[in-house]
Amino acid sequence: MGGWPFWLSGFAIGLLVVLFAWIAGKAFGVSSSYGSVCGVVSKNSFFKSRPFGERWRLWFLLGFPLGGLLSAALTGRLQPTFRLAGFEALFGESVVVKGAVLVAGGFLIGYGARWAGGCTSGHSITGLAQGSRSSLVATLGFFAAGVIVTQLLFMFLGGAA
Amino acid sequence: MMNFAALAFGCAFGFALSRARATDYDTILGMFRFSDLHLMGVMGVAIATAAIGLAVVRRRARHAVLGGTIDVQPKPVQPGLFAAGLVFGTGWALTGGCPGTVLAQIGELKIYALCTAAGILAGTYAFGMRSSRRAAAASRIAAPAHASRAT
Repeated sequence: MGGWPFWLSGFAIGLLVVLFAWIAGKAFGVSSSYGSVCGVVSKNSFFKSRPFGERWRLWFLLGFPLGGLLSAALTGRLQPTFRLAGFEALFGESVVVKGAVLVAGGFLIGYGARWAGGCTSGHSITGLAQGSRSSLVATLGFFAAGVIVTQLLFMFLGGAA
Repeated sequence: MMNFAALAFGCAFGFALSRARATDYDTILGMFRFSDLHLMGVMGVAIATAAIGLAVVRRRARHAVLGGTIDVQPKPVQPGLFAAGLVFGTGWALTGGCPGTVLAQIGELKIYALCTAAGILAGTYAFGMRSSRRAAAASRIAAPAHASRAT
C-alpha cells in the first residue's frame, strides 16, 4: 500500500512535533487553523482573538494537502476518486447520502474540537505527550465515542453492503 | 519566515499522516473496531517520541530557532471536556477523518474529503458564534446595560 510501518510513522510524526516546537516554537494542532479560516470571512471577535488570529495557521493548513498530494504522487496512486473505501459499504453509493453524512460528521468534528479546545493532533498527540490532564479527558471522549459509534454503525448498517 | 515554516511543516505532517495510513477510512474504522491496531501503534510511538523530545527541547532551548518563545503548553481543564470529546469522536467515526487527515485526504484527491472539511468549517463557525453570543450575554449579566460602558 506504500504505507510506513507503525513505528516509523509514529516516530516521524513525533519527531515533527518536536521539530515544530524547537524551530517554530509552535504546538502541533490543526483544528485551530479552521478557526483562522473562519476569521478570514467572519468579523466575529471569537475568530480574531488568539489563537485563531495568528496568520501562520492559515499557511499551516495549506501545507497538509500539499503533503498528501506529494505522498500520493510518489507512490503512483495519484488519481481523483469519489470513493472512501469502506465508507460506501456502510452508507451506500448515493451521492446525497454520502455528502450529507460527511458534512454532518464534519460539523460534529468542528464543533467538538472547538469546544474541547483541540483535536487528535493538539490533544491526543501534543497534549498527551506533555502529560496534560485535559488532553487525557478529551482523548478518552474522542475514543469512547469513536468506538461506540463505529460498533453501532456496523451493527445496524454493516449488512447493507 | 514563520509563514513559510508553517507551510513546510504542514506539508511534512500531511505527508507523514498519509504514509501512516491515517488518511485511510478503513484503517481508522479498523482502529475503532480493534481489528487493525496499526494506528494505535502509530499514536503510541508518536506520543512517546514527542514526550521525550519536548522534554529535551524544554530543558535545552530557551527560544525557538526562528525567534520568540516556545509556545507549547498543556491545554486548560474546562467543563464539558468529555462531552466535547464525545461530539468530536462521533464525527471522527462517521467520516473516518479528523481535521488534519481530512486536509491530507484532499491532497490525495479523495474528493469527498471536501465535504468533511466543509462540515468542520461549519461546526467551527457555529461554535464560535455560540460562544461569542454567550460571552455577550454573560457580560450583560455581569454589568447591567445602564452601568456598562466598556462592553
